[in-house]
Amino acid sequence: MAGVGFRMWAKALAKGRSSGLSALLSGCRAASGVSKGSLPGPYPKTPEERAAAAKKYNLTVQDYEPYPDNGEGFGDYPKLPDRSQQERDPWYQWDHPDLRRNWAEPMHWDFDMFIRNRVDTSPSPVPWSTMCKHLFGFIGFMLFMFYVGAKFPCYQPVAPKQYPYNDLYLERGGDPEKQPEEIKHYEI
Amino acid sequence: MADYREAPLATRPKTLDPNEYFNLSPEQRRLEESRMALRANLKRQYQIELNNPHRKELIEDPALTRWVYARANPYPNFRVTKKTSLLGAICGVVPLFVMYYVFKTDRDNKEAKIKAGTLKRKFSLLS
Repeated sequence: MAGVGFRMWAKALAKGRSSGLSALLSGCRAASGVSKGSLPGPYPKTPEERAAAAKKYNLTVQDYEPYPDNGEGFGDYPKLPDRSQQERDPWYQWDHPDLRRNWAEPMHWDFDMFIRNRVDTSPSPVPWSTMCKHLFGFIGFMLFMFYVGAKFPCYQPVAPKQYPYNDLYLERGGDPEKQPEEIKHYEI
Repeated sequence: MADYREAPLATRPKTLDPNEYFNLSPEQRRLEESRMALRANLKRQYQIELNNPHRKELIEDPALTRWVYARANPYPNFRVTKKTSLLGAICGVVPLFVMYYVFKTDRDNKEAKIKAGTLKRKFSLLS
């Protein structure tokens, strides 16, 4: 790309159409990466625009399906199936094996969500609704039972502690001369 | 292969899908071929760049550039519709009012309790 610019510059100078500096400015072009036409653009309205957008994103025209145009900011970005990277073939020779993706393959809008460390759309062993019911049913039941147990506590009957020697009369500083009153802790 | 069952937690591979083999019209075959041609071309480009002995820098991925650009620049494609304005209100305007109301009432109750002397500071480190 830089070579093209140089050749145009040399030709312009040789032809001598304009003075030195403006010839340089018109002929040269920076050899940067992406060109304007290869970046995402607005929603495609005509079939020609759709075909051009499909070609830009390396998709066939039948596969290319843009997001519906409701002003949410997608533009002409393709709507790919919501499948996580974990679902892709682990034995195929991907260009980037950890991402299970090939070079220049169109990326899903939520690609960073669908990597293998994050959201996984693989089929579950039991239907999703069954799993939800089991988990939330168990958690709900346990919460309910703990609540009931807190409301109606159930433990062995307790009474105040009973001490010997007339309720520890001497140890509690009672007069050794006086006769303490007899306390009976039992009933026969 | 008629009794093939998928591995648990895995989707059925595309090559074992019976729809790939039976009742295929020529259009479907041509479509599949065009998809394969695109993919093979990109693979070839990548391998050429990868094994190029004169290459000194990273191989730039245009799909990645497009993805990053699309995610970072939704503003030109944004339009004010019922749905977008509703979402914007729910996420940006309502939380302000709700949080103001919640915090104000909580703090007012606490202030009233302090004034009445009934505030219980359960985790106070001062005493």
